Amino acid sequence: MKIAQRFPVKMLSLVLLLALVLSACSNSGGNNGNGDAAQSNGGNASATDNASEGGADTRDVGGLAVPIVQDPLTLTLWSPSGGNFRGTNFNEKLSFQQMEANTSIHIDFQHSTDASAEAFSLLMASGQLPDIIYSDAWGTESSKYGSQGALLPLEELIEQYAPNFNKILNDYPDVRGQITSPEGHIYYLPNLVLDAENLTQMFPQIRQDWLEQLGLEMPTSTDEWYEVLKAFREQDPNGNGEQDEIPLVTVSLENIMMLFAPAFGVEYGFFVEDGQVKYGPADERFEDVVTYLNKLYSEQLLDPNYLVDTTFQTLTEKVTTDVAGAWFGWSGSYMGNFTTLMEGKHDTFALAPVLPPAGPDGTQRHVSFRWQAGPHGLAVSSRTEHPEEVIQWLDYQYSEEGILLNNFGVEGESYDVVDGNPIYKEAVTNPTNGLTNTQELLNHTIGGGSWATVADPRYAEQIRIANGQTDNPLELYSDYIDFDAKLPPVQFSAEESAAVVPLMADIQTYAAEAVNAAIMGRDPVGNYDQVIEQLNKMGIEEVLRNYQTAYDRFKGN
Amino acid sequence: MAQPARAVQPAAKRPRLARGRRMYANRGLYLMLLPVVAYFLIFEYKPMYGAIIAFKQFNAYAGIADSPWVGFQHFERFFESYYFWRLLKNTFLLSLYSLLFIFPAALVFALLLNELRHKKLKSVVQTISYLPHFISLIVICGMIIDFTKPGGIINSALLALGVVDSPIQFLILPEWFRTIYVGSGLWQSVGWNSIIYLAALSGINPSLYEAAVIDGADRWKQLLHITLPGILPTVLILLILNIGQLLNIGWDKIILLYNPSTYPTADVISTFVYRRGIMEADYSFSAAVGLFNSVINFTLLLAANRISRKATKTSLW
Repeated sequence: MKIAQRFPVKMLSLVLLLALVLSACSNSGGNNGNGDAAQSNGGNASATDNASEGGADTRDVGGLAVPIVQDPLTLTLWSPSGGNFRGTNFNEKLSFQQMEANTSIHIDFQHSTDASAEAFSLLMASGQLPDIIYSDAWGTESSKYGSQGALLPLEELIEQYAPNFNKILNDYPDVRGQITSPEGHIYYLPNLVLDAENLTQMFPQIRQDWLEQLGLEMPTSTDEWYEVLKAFREQDPNGNGEQDEIPLVTVSLENIMMLFAPAFGVEYGFFVEDGQVKYGPADERFEDVVTYLNKLYSEQLLDPNYLVDTTFQTLTEKVTTDVAGAWFGWSGSYMGNFTTLMEGKHDTFALAPVLPPAGPDGTQRHVSFRWQAGPHGLAVSSRTEHPEEVIQWLDYQYSEEGILLNNFGVEGESYDVVDGNPIYKEAVTNPTNGLTNTQELLNHTIGGGSWATVADPRYAEQIRIANGQTDNPLELYSDYIDFDAKLPPVQFSAEESAAVVPLMADIQTYAAEAVNAAIMGRDPVGNYDQVIEQLNKMGIEEVLRNYQTAYDRFKGN
Repeated sequence: MAQPARAVQPAAKRPRLARGRRMYANRGLYLMLLPVVAYFLIFEYKPMYGAIIAFKQFNAYAGIADSPWVGFQHFERFFESYYFWRLLKNTFLLSLYSLLFIFPAALVFALLLNELRHKKLKSVVQTISYLPHFISLIVICGMIIDFTKPGGIINSALLALGVVDSPIQFLILPEWFRTIYVGSGLWQSVGWNSIIYLAALSGINPSLYEAAVIDGADRWKQLLHITLPGILPTVLILLILNIGQLLNIGWDKIILLYNPSTYPTADVISTFVYRRGIMEADYSFSAAVGLFNSVINFTLLLAANRISRKATKTSLW
């Protein structure tokens, strides 16, 4: 008995010991590997920009001396993980391992698997902040938390310690305006897209093979969209003999609004017309949008379940079961993804981008695009003990070396340099491990589109071509983008915010309710002037006054 | 319950010194009580201090003490909100309907189970009935969405039976929301809520039933005169406690099931606060609404307790 009892204990401690030794081995092995890679990479870098300065152990990256510190330093960084980021700990990504080797700064990632606004709000309310905080809402939130004293104003630190980012601010003056708070502070470093033709985000996509099947032309106006969707509904384009087609699918009303509302001169939210900020649902022209969508809904051209089926999963299901005809979505996660999913499962499945539809008076505008400075990026806690090192580490993200690491990963692992250009390895663009190439890439790095770095256009291009799309659909929309009509990322002062937030809580509730009710025909469409009247009663004018102030200030920057 | 109370009484008459000795004699019991007292002090009473942010403009970086006072501003904002009365009404009705249907259903279910002679069947039925309680709410709501869809089993059944001509958009029509909410709540919690009644039922002295049988009472009479009076105190206490929770309706299930089209019946205080307070990080506002809720709940609790004490001599205190 006694032996039998003791034995497992001994075994357990042995196993533990073994595990310790093994992990120690693998750790040191990993470190060695990184060290070697760092040296070779370092050699490359200093060979290319031979402006090396500083001590014997540092090299120059666009004016920034790396390693940033001589003695390894640990900084903390909060960020959601999973989802678009993929992975449960960013230190598993080779790019961050390499970055640590290059900068001597270790990042202790504090991850939340919940990417919601709620998780972020709770972190900020806790008052216990890590050195660096990720958010996809800094565009509108940073000045609020900045003025509360949670975030460190970065503009002076950038001048002094961030040569790479500072150069971008000087080369692209618009970017500075897009991230500056009402009080003139910069509280976060954003994700950047610097080439104009890649600013398009979502766009209309249609089953091209269905169009061909039914002998239809690509729709160019709202009326033609109606005819095409009607044909999809009535003429059985999927050829199964059943009327199971859902011509237009969506995960939210917002996407459908982005598709059609601009054709009628408005948007489902705030927009700018001749320098005046306006709120779509409170505009007379919005009645036309609602009337049009009501027609689509009542004839079942718009998914009757659009309010309930709000997940990307249900939309994917409708597309892959061959019942969905058109939608408004992203290039990669919609068009590319669906094409890959249907490869070999459907003989004719083909998607095509559609130009924004022209309205009754010929208005043709595309509104789903981003600013050069995205709302997502990294901010710094006001209580960090290492402001200089933090800003230098952030600046590294915007250096040529950092941009390559964030977009392409580690040279020799996920990409090779061919004729001076980074080219993904075949194992990344056409992975054989069952992952899509975007997923495989995110095992190597963070992705240039979602981090505080510059999105490299070569990244999206190579992935797109690997997915069989030779043309860049985003370029199609450049001509229809009106930068002056989109409300820029204006930030409110504390007083403006105190006036706007409570009013908008009621207004948004009311607008969502009234617009959906009108689309579904629960309220007669002809009554839309009453909706506008109600919005006026609820104080939309005061909200717009504050928006106008913020907008004028933004323009003055 | 009554016996230990009687045992204590004579002890209370003894001199003061005896209490200390008595406590020492029962030190094991007091030791076991300690964690519970500590729990309430640390997790239930200490956080109450934070409720003062309802009267302040809370800023996490200034701290609770240094945030500026704003008086009743947040309360006024809430009362002046365009939707205040609708929110109050929706909250109240959803709670009331849940109480009205789920509370008696659990009691009836427990009584029915109690009449079952077949031990095995009884435990099988009981287990099946409280299983839904253990399913994650996300899954429950996913199931509700699938069941109520046009093309889901409920609509298919209604169509097949000829009750309706075209499928009903249950989750889009505001008039259906309360039915779906309470109906699914019934399925979720009847089994679980009946457990406490079953416990109370097993506490009834069997000799009472034997005596009744000898007196010639049939099962219905036994139910009326022994079973029901036996568990009445439990039922009343639970009812009072439930009334004290009337405005505390869980928001998570509503958030998962509602959409702008069903706001007219589904939007309740907590979902509004979620959209307004948590998403916008306006914690002072949330705290003010929470405090308002608690005051109403506490008032209801006091009233229910008083009525019950007057009418039936059963009360919480």
